Amino acid sequence: MNAATYTGALELAAGAVLVSAVMTLWRRQVRTIVTMLSLQGISLAAVALILAAHEHDGALALTGLLVLIVKGVIVPGLLRRIARLDPRSRETTPLVNVPASLVFAAVLIVLSYVVSARVTSVAPSVATRMVPIGVATVLVGYFMLVTRRRAVSKVVGLILVDNGIALVTFLLTSGVPLIVELGSSLDVLLVVVVLQFLVINMGEQLRRSELDQMKELHD
Amino acid sequence: MTLLLVGLGFCLLGVLTSALPRTYRVPVTASCAALGCALAFCAAMRVLVTGDTVSFHTTLILPLNGFAMTLDPLGALFIVATALVGFASCVYCIGYVRGELQSRSAMGLFVAFILSLLAVPAASSIATLMLFWELMAVSSMLLIVVEHRHRREARDAALWYGVMTQLGAASILLGLLLLTLRGGGQTFTEIKSHADALSPIVRSSAFMLVLLGFASKAGAVPLHVWLPKAHPEAPSPVSAMMSSSMVAMGVYGIIRVGDDLLHGGTVWWWIAVVALGTLSALYGALHATTSTDIKRLLAYSTIDILGLVLIGVGAAGALRDTGHPAVAQLALMAALLLVVAHAGFKGALFLGAGAVERATGTRDLDQLGGLIHRMPVTTTIFALSACSIMAVPTLSGFSSEWLLLQGLLHGFTDASTPTLIALLVGIVALALTGGLTAVAFVKALGIGFLGQARTLGAVNATEVAPTMQIAMALLGAVSIVLGLVPGLVVPLINRAAQSGLSRSTMSPLARGTGLVLAQLRGAIQPAFLFVGAAAVLVAVWLINRRLVHRSARRVDAWGCGRDVQTARMQYTATSFGEPLQRVFADVLRPQSDVELTHVAESRYYEQSLKYQNQVSDAVEQFGYRPVIDAVLRGGKAARRIQNGSIHRYLAFGFVALLVVLVVLA
Amino acid sequence: MTSSFTATLAYSMPASALQIVLVALGGPLLLGLMAKIRARAEGRVGAPISQPLKDIRKLLSKERLHARHASVVLPLAPIVILAATAVAIGIAPLITTHPALGASADILVIVYLLLTGSVAGALAGLDTGTAFGGMGASRAMTIGALAEPALLVAVIALSIQAGTSNLPAIVSSTLAHPNWVSGPSRLLALVALVIVIIAETGRLPVDNPATHLELTMIHEAMILEYAGPELALVTLGGAMRLGLLFSLVANLFFPWGIGSNGSLVGLLVGVLALALKTSVIAVGVSLIEIHSAKLRLFRLPELLAGAFVMSVLAVITGLVTR
Repeated sequence: MNAATYTGALELAAGAVLVSAVMTLWRRQVRTIVTMLSLQGISLAAVALILAAHEHDGALALTGLLVLIVKGVIVPGLLRRIARLDPRSRETTPLVNVPASLVFAAVLIVLSYVVSARVTSVAPSVATRMVPIGVATVLVGYFMLVTRRRAVSKVVGLILVDNGIALVTFLLTSGVPLIVELGSSLDVLLVVVVLQFLVINMGEQLRRSELDQMKELHD
Repeated sequence: MTLLLVGLGFCLLGVLTSALPRTYRVPVTASCAALGCALAFCAAMRVLVTGDTVSFHTTLILPLNGFAMTLDPLGALFIVATALVGFASCVYCIGYVRGELQSRSAMGLFVAFILSLLAVPAASSIATLMLFWELMAVSSMLLIVVEHRHRREARDAALWYGVMTQLGAASILLGLLLLTLRGGGQTFTEIKSHADALSPIVRSSAFMLVLLGFASKAGAVPLHVWLPKAHPEAPSPVSAMMSSSMVAMGVYGIIRVGDDLLHGGTVWWWIAVVALGTLSALYGALHATTSTDIKRLLAYSTIDILGLVLIGVGAAGALRDTGHPAVAQLALMAALLLVVAHAGFKGALFLGAGAVERATGTRDLDQLGGLIHRMPVTTTIFALSACSIMAVPTLSGFSSEWLLLQGLLHGFTDASTPTLIALLVGIVALALTGGLTAVAFVKALGIGFLGQARTLGAVNATEVAPTMQIAMALLGAVSIVLGLVPGLVVPLINRAAQSGLSRSTMSPLARGTGLVLAQLRGAIQPAFLFVGAAAVLVAVWLINRRLVHRSARRVDAWGCGRDVQTARMQYTATSFGEPLQRVFADVLRPQSDVELTHVAESRYYEQSLKYQNQVSDAVEQFGYRPVIDAVLRGGKAARRIQNGSIHRYLAFGFVALLVVLVVLA
Repeated sequence: MTSSFTATLAYSMPASALQIVLVALGGPLLLGLMAKIRARAEGRVGAPISQPLKDIRKLLSKERLHARHASVVLPLAPIVILAATAVAIGIAPLITTHPALGASADILVIVYLLLTGSVAGALAGLDTGTAFGGMGASRAMTIGALAEPALLVAVIALSIQAGTSNLPAIVSSTLAHPNWVSGPSRLLALVALVIVIIAETGRLPVDNPATHLELTMIHEAMILEYAGPELALVTLGGAMRLGLLFSLVANLFFPWGIGSNGSLVGLLVGVLALALKTSVIAVGVSLIEIHSAKLRLFRLPELLAGAFVMSVLAVITGLVTR
């Protein structure tokens, strides 16, 4: 793989991670959001695979494949099933409205470029230059976690955070040990499974899955 | 220099002639002031063309170091802009003045105000600067209350303005005095030579204090609250002067102190300036889209444009020491060109608004309409200036915004991260305000001057006096000249920018009628574009002559089959701006009220419907009100110790004396 | 100096004139093509592709009618729209990278020429003194105010890469650096621009060009009082605007085929390439249209804010991956 193709491909894949993160804030349809999440998983895997191909690192390639399967296929598939359980699958009234969230996301992205400027300046390379994208994904995910009402959206936010961290580690250390990635992926999977039970139970009890309603379970 | 002094002398004469009897007062006074402006214009132009700096110093007028004036190209550019608007306003006055402004004191104050505006950019010592600065502040404050008998709002506006401007002046004075700490004298040359000896902390705090004062004069958000109150309440020629010249003095001050006296300082100063500018540009543009009072709309648009100017000034400051001197100069030139262009179109717009108010008795857009049929000249000039502010190509607003974009865009090459973000934010602000300004001015023009007349006042309007038309046309012409052949003034603003940055580098723009970047790629040739548009029109006409030759038949408007289209059915200014008001409700925080009364018999038929919509300034409401309330509460509490008993007052003095003695011992 | 002058006279000016004529004819054809695709998708035969051109010709021969309260603005606006759009088309790099006045073909010039057209249209809407005119003007200006920044910032993302805001220069440097096209910055800018041109040309899901339902009209409400030759000019202006925006997107993101060496053959290839590229975009946009319903007016800011954030992201990624 020559240098220009490597740079271009890496930029494209990392860019896709960020764009899909922003898209999850933009769209309201839960189905679309989950599709974006799966796109993000695939792009994340692509980042890992491109890095692996560039550095001839077998373990990293294996991690990439794992990410592809878990975050690109299994997790989105499960989330899609959960979304289907819920009759009204739209994020209707987020705590912060959509245009404002988008503008805030832009601010977060600028912020992440500022804070990671020092990191990138330590070891300037094609890979480290993309680190801000990972940081931005983490911040956007956290923002989504805070401002979205629906349970599924909150989990999506959590997964965004996880994907962002994974991206940063891929880029900085050229790959996490396989066992760590395996562990974190299983964590995410577990969260999704728990969510499924939660939503099913809430659906039976309250016919909706907005977490604001959780207070009522108290009584 | 003599020319400028003679000009100022004529203004002074104007102040005296305002004591003449009523019949001669206005023409004589206004002519004196106009002549003064013309002379000042010539003096400043000579400095700009030759590039020589001239100065004048006397110990006669002021005590201590005396009275020092220096006319350098930077100050001269601001004098040119002021003199243009001043001249036009004086000519306008001759036809306009009636009622309150005709009084002795009002005319005198008006001329004194012009005098101070002409003198501020030439002042070259702290004492001289503050003398004229205070004259400017006091005379304009009194001019705001001239019509207070008819409008109660004027008193409130003057109070706001008075407090804000005095706080600003105190802040400026404090900042400038800080600069004299290390043995420097109080003239600008002395400060300049000692500036590098000061510690960075002193320099930074001095700049921040000065910035606070000047930015509040330039209407920068969040120090702008006085501006949309004060500018509309003053008589229109005064509003024109305030909005096109006085706010520019704030910009002048920032450039003079930051770039000239302190040689640029650190990048953070200028990033603060860009931040202020961005905030103002967006906030001003947004509020302009929802304002329904034509002068209030213009005042908010002043905040918007001055915000863009500050972005240019800030970008120039941030880039000046980064190895891009040419780009820094470009950005500063853009800011200066925008100041001059703004003086032209905003002056014309305010004078136009005054003409509308004179002819119809109102400045509420919701009560106007159809003025194009009754006031064609005023409408044409207002439309031209509105097009200029909307940055229609081949007019002055466009030339200056293009130059500003170039300054920001070319700064991107290897700038540091903070500067990069500042430039990016500036570009985003420039892009966002463009569309919003268009909405505001389509509203002002379309609702105010087109369509059907909404009230009797608008129906009975007639064209205003010829002197007023001439004054407006004069300022309208500035838009055309700076728009079609901006290259002509490039050498002048280049000289001003050089003297501002105290550098003599090559001009970043090539010679010619258009604007052509010398070392970088980028150019516009508005005159050629205009010719191109004309060629297209000729071609269309040649192809289809019937379009022009066949006369049109007048019919009732169709309106989707609606029979009668009354004036009340038209969209109003409120409804025109409503969609944007709703989109930006989080920022604007509008208060809407719908009151519905039903017919007694049935709930399904309403008897009357009342809709109220008010957009008040959110910064004022949430930033200033709490402070004012706290001060008032403090004042009330303090009143308790004042019960009118003379014994108690004497006791206070005695106790204080004892305390002082104890402390000293 | 003389040689460049003769080159301008012999090549650039005819090329610019050709561009204007091409878009004036091609814009309506693109409209016809999009209508045809929609008709086919709905199972109808639909009008021939040349129908918009025939409509314009027919309208030109009709009587001029002006609303009673209208002023000189009403007949003047179509001319301003036409002239502003035509100048923008003439100087933009559509079939050649050396159009007449190409040095002045700055992003800001093009964007503000288009804005001038919108302003003229909105003023004409208000000039009629009717409820619908004002409604259309207000809505069109609102959408324009939100779409314009996204448009400007998206193109600025490209100009940062090229180091200039001059459009022919951007196109030429893209030709010289083919790998720019697949960069993330370009792709983000492309997404933003597609949304913006849908909004700026009044297509679904922003505005429904076919509707005459009173409360859903935007552009149609604004031009409701136009009839005869003036309606023809307004329609033609709108079609040319669409043609210009489609061509710009085509050439900024896929410049190949544009005439860059000043030869006649290059010009002809440029014409063919432009026709092909804009037709592809037209097909794409009409596919989007077929699959979407009109959005509520107050959902539009969300869409345009998305486009704006995309374009800001394009600038940021452009700056970082420089």
